[in-house]
Amino acid sequence: MLIRIFKNLARFIVTFLAATLVVFGIMRVLPGDPAAIAAGENATPEIVEQLAKEFGTDRPLPVQFWDWFSGLLRGDFGVSYVTRTDISPLVLDKVQVSLILVTLAMLLALAIAIPLGTLAAVRHKKASGALISALSQLGIAIPGFLLGILLVSLVSLRLGWLPANGWTPPGEDFGDFIRRIILPVTALAGVQSAIVMRYVRSAVLETMHEDYLRTARAKGLSPMKALLKHGLRNAAIPVLTVTSVQFAALIIGAVVIERVFVIPGLGSMLLTAVGNRDLLTVQSVVMVLVAITLLINLIVDVLYTILDPRLRAAD
Amino acid sequence: MHRSTRSRRTGVLGALLMSAVLTLTACNAGSTGTAGSTADKSKLTVALTGEPVNLDFTTTAGAAIPQATMSNIYEGLVSVDQTGSIKPLLATGWETSGDNKSYTFTLQQGVKFSNGADFDASDVKFSIERVKSDAWLNGLKSKMDVVDTVEVVSPETVKVNLKRPSQAWLYSMTTLVGAMFDPSGVADLANKPVGTGPYALESWTRGDSIKLTGRDDYWGMKPGINNVTLRYFADAIATTNALTSGDVDLIYNMQAPELLSSFQSNPEFQVLDGTSNGEIILSMNNKVAPFNDKRVRQAVMYAVDRKEVRDTAWNGLGTLVGGPVPPTDPYYEDLNDVYPYDPAKAKALLKEAGAENLDITFTVPTRPYATAVAEVVFSQLKEVGINVKIQSAEFPAVWLDQVFNRHDYQMSVVLAVEARDVLTMFNNPNYYIGYDNAKIKDEAARADESDVTTYIAGMKNVVRTVVEDAASDTLFIFPNISVAKAGLSGIGANSVTEALSLAPIAWS
Amino acid sequence: MNFNLLAGSALVGLVVIVAVLSFVWTPYDPVRINPQVKLQLPSAQHWLGTDNLGRDLFTRILVGARITLLVGVVSVGIAVLIGTPLGIWAGMKRGAVEEITMRGADILLAFPALLLAIMFAAIYGASTVSAMAAIGLASVPGFARVARAGTLQVMNSEYILAARAASQRPLRIARRHVLPNLAGMLIIQCSVTFALAVLAEAALSFLGLGTPPPVPSWGRMLQESQQYWGTFPLMAILPGVAIAVAVMGFNLLGDGLRDRFDPKLGRGKA
Repeated sequence: MLIRIFKNLARFIVTFLAATLVVFGIMRVLPGDPAAIAAGENATPEIVEQLAKEFGTDRPLPVQFWDWFSGLLRGDFGVSYVTRTDISPLVLDKVQVSLILVTLAMLLALAIAIPLGTLAAVRHKKASGALISALSQLGIAIPGFLLGILLVSLVSLRLGWLPANGWTPPGEDFGDFIRRIILPVTALAGVQSAIVMRYVRSAVLETMHEDYLRTARAKGLSPMKALLKHGLRNAAIPVLTVTSVQFAALIIGAVVIERVFVIPGLGSMLLTAVGNRDLLTVQSVVMVLVAITLLINLIVDVLYTILDPRLRAAD
Repeated sequence: MHRSTRSRRTGVLGALLMSAVLTLTACNAGSTGTAGSTADKSKLTVALTGEPVNLDFTTTAGAAIPQATMSNIYEGLVSVDQTGSIKPLLATGWETSGDNKSYTFTLQQGVKFSNGADFDASDVKFSIERVKSDAWLNGLKSKMDVVDTVEVVSPETVKVNLKRPSQAWLYSMTTLVGAMFDPSGVADLANKPVGTGPYALESWTRGDSIKLTGRDDYWGMKPGINNVTLRYFADAIATTNALTSGDVDLIYNMQAPELLSSFQSNPEFQVLDGTSNGEIILSMNNKVAPFNDKRVRQAVMYAVDRKEVRDTAWNGLGTLVGGPVPPTDPYYEDLNDVYPYDPAKAKALLKEAGAENLDITFTVPTRPYATAVAEVVFSQLKEVGINVKIQSAEFPAVWLDQVFNRHDYQMSVVLAVEARDVLTMFNNPNYYIGYDNAKIKDEAARADESDVTTYIAGMKNVVRTVVEDAASDTLFIFPNISVAKAGLSGIGANSVTEALSLAPIAWS
Repeated sequence: MNFNLLAGSALVGLVVIVAVLSFVWTPYDPVRINPQVKLQLPSAQHWLGTDNLGRDLFTRILVGARITLLVGVVSVGIAVLIGTPLGIWAGMKRGAVEEITMRGADILLAFPALLLAIMFAAIYGASTVSAMAAIGLASVPGFARVARAGTLQVMNSEYILAARAASQRPLRIARRHVLPNLAGMLIIQCSVTFALAVLAEAALSFLGLGTPPPVPSWGRMLQESQQYWGTFPLMAILPGVAIAVAVMGFNLLGDGLRDRFDPKLGRGKA
């Protein structure tokens, strides 16, 4: 088992290293000299040359890569050419915003999806079950940003119940933080709950056919009670898998919702940096996103290895 | 056994998630936020689109930087008023020598920089010479090339000697190249600007907002509102949503004219429809086929119905001028009749040039005005047999690289915002438009060196020549639309400078 | 024939018919503007009304189906053509090949479609092509994994053992024995990926990173409708419904196929 965990860890490290090369490689294909972009519309060749020297973009690529990579390991992303400030504290700040948004959305999605999905499975032969399934089909088919715009139009602009957009850090004014985060979290969770619900439903359906549930029912428990008592835990693995996969995808996927609700998260930061040709910031944000995804995969892999006896036995 | 392992697994993941949320909520993610009671008369929140990348316009291009800093944090010796005429600011007055080659400025007394340093003639010398040095990396620095020497006559008097007389120079001094700096305040201009203006930078949350605070030691009239927040949004819809739900008090330079109607009919809001220095230029690459043929360019001028473009793409807002000069410039004249809408003439010219069934690529920057304009132009050119393929270029980066720097385009459209930029655009054959300036070069130079009347007459000729040669099509002058809560006064409706001047704004 | 399969086929069929029809006939020119008739409600002349530039919305919805299908077909095509051979190769060869391929898939998996598209748009500019490439590449790992898993199952079957014993060449085994057995799983994956591609295109167009104007794409139409949510919601509702129909169609089709090919796989799994 330990060997397997080490294997997972080694894979993580190799994948991470490869990813840094990929990101650096892609970024260097970007059209346009960063110095020329920074110099803007009234640039002269002398100005561009001077800026290139200042940025260090006139040095050989391996040197630039090592510079960036060694900084990365120290958690220091360097100073952006464009904004002329340290990138690391900014990225750290935006990561928190994104994580808060996505975590809350995922929790809400689970809170909706688990009971509804279970219900849909238990009643899969009845109209109510079919209705829930149909709703989840619809939920998946509606783009998240559309739901977001709909919520803004209705709840903020028409009814005036909540602010239309913006972000307040929880530590500054918790009440305002909640008021502003309700709509974006709902928009994100709406689609996610539909996705997760489908997994919950099929996982519960499968469990319902297992022997021990039949035994439990034979002992006189009602189908719902039998399921609640014994089945749900077993249905948890596929649901946890999809939750972790969705969580990773959401951190970047939330960019569209961040745009609609003007939330200063990682996605907004990435889009702005791309627009400004802020190479170092783009590289850093992409690396953080990739690292988060890989880390979640690693944690899930390791947890499975530790906890699942079947996986432990497999190959 | 089987079951207990699984429940532990659920527990572990759940605990992980919960602890993550708790740690995160405890800290101050996103730093200073958007909240702010708008009932407070000492506070103002302004909605803008396009955040500055940093605050140092001496090394960084981009209109958002002077918009936030000029007039507010920085001041020059002179400024322009809402009608476009030059007024004293840090200089109380100035005299020109007989040959128009030197300017002697008398300076305002008791002026302090926000870091406590005193402002005097040596700062003027320092600031102007710094523009000419390597410290400035903004291409606009060439506006200061005409300056020969700067003499400190006394602490309150400074004399600037030019290499040749120049009408354009004094105007340039009202723009960012004329901003006054102190030698002790230029260490970190990108993050810590130090100027003589009515406001000082309080804080900046990147990706969100800039906070400015009125200075107690400001030399002039105290600003009407002490605490100003400039909030930056990704698009115009987000700004109007924020105004409707009361998060902001003023949207400046609003970019979605279709959204105005709901504010115009609501007494809680006021809509200001001003003009700006920005021309929407439909540029044609004068050096590359098919637009190296003047007849093809003229055909485009006749084929494009500028009124319909403005009415359809920008809801009828903006001024039709026919040439690359806004009405607030001294050498403006109405040139709408030079190329009226005449598709038959356009077809005839295309036939004459052997360019029937022409295929062209139209490189459109990713900006609301550009995509809106492009769709209309696309349809109008199709009517005369020009088949347009629209290619979008991400703005600013891809557009700057492809169109502006490498001149790799046939047709493009861009909002040219720099003030008095006719000569920048057309008196330089190496500019991306590629207009052959042989006909205007000498006249433009003579005009700049002469007196005001001759200058204006000469420039009018230059502009007329440029338009007649169909160097590019000025579709309309971009409107400066502001939407504000009804109680705000002092908002400059016209955007005649690069700055958004905050000090005159007050709650009534 | 189950319900999902039926409903899915019907919705997908509708989208395909609409797209094909648009090549043969449309009531108006989809890009020609006509400001005199802008923002009109449905009428005899304009069955679904007109947009802010006076273009016929019915025509634009018809033509928009083309882009939706094009993006779906090309990006799914990229994913199938790259992902499937790699997956089969990994499943047949095992060892280092498998390790490297699957690690490659892991790396790619860390770059979701949206992230790739943002990077591609930064490099090549926003276009349908870069959107399709991004969505396609991001879907490669999914196909590689499905193909590998399927191959691993099939490799131990008796007829493949027999084929190997008869020392048939690997390429032949892959083509004759492995691929046919994967077809069902791959078709399901195609359908699901197709639905994701339609949604991704909409999101990209919303961010201005998708199809440039004036070509009508449903995502673009949604983005352009934003200013009119309050005053003329029809402009937003139509493309929104169109997207939902297409996504639902492909998802239902995938579910229906899964029930048909492999009822054991469980109902309603994405």
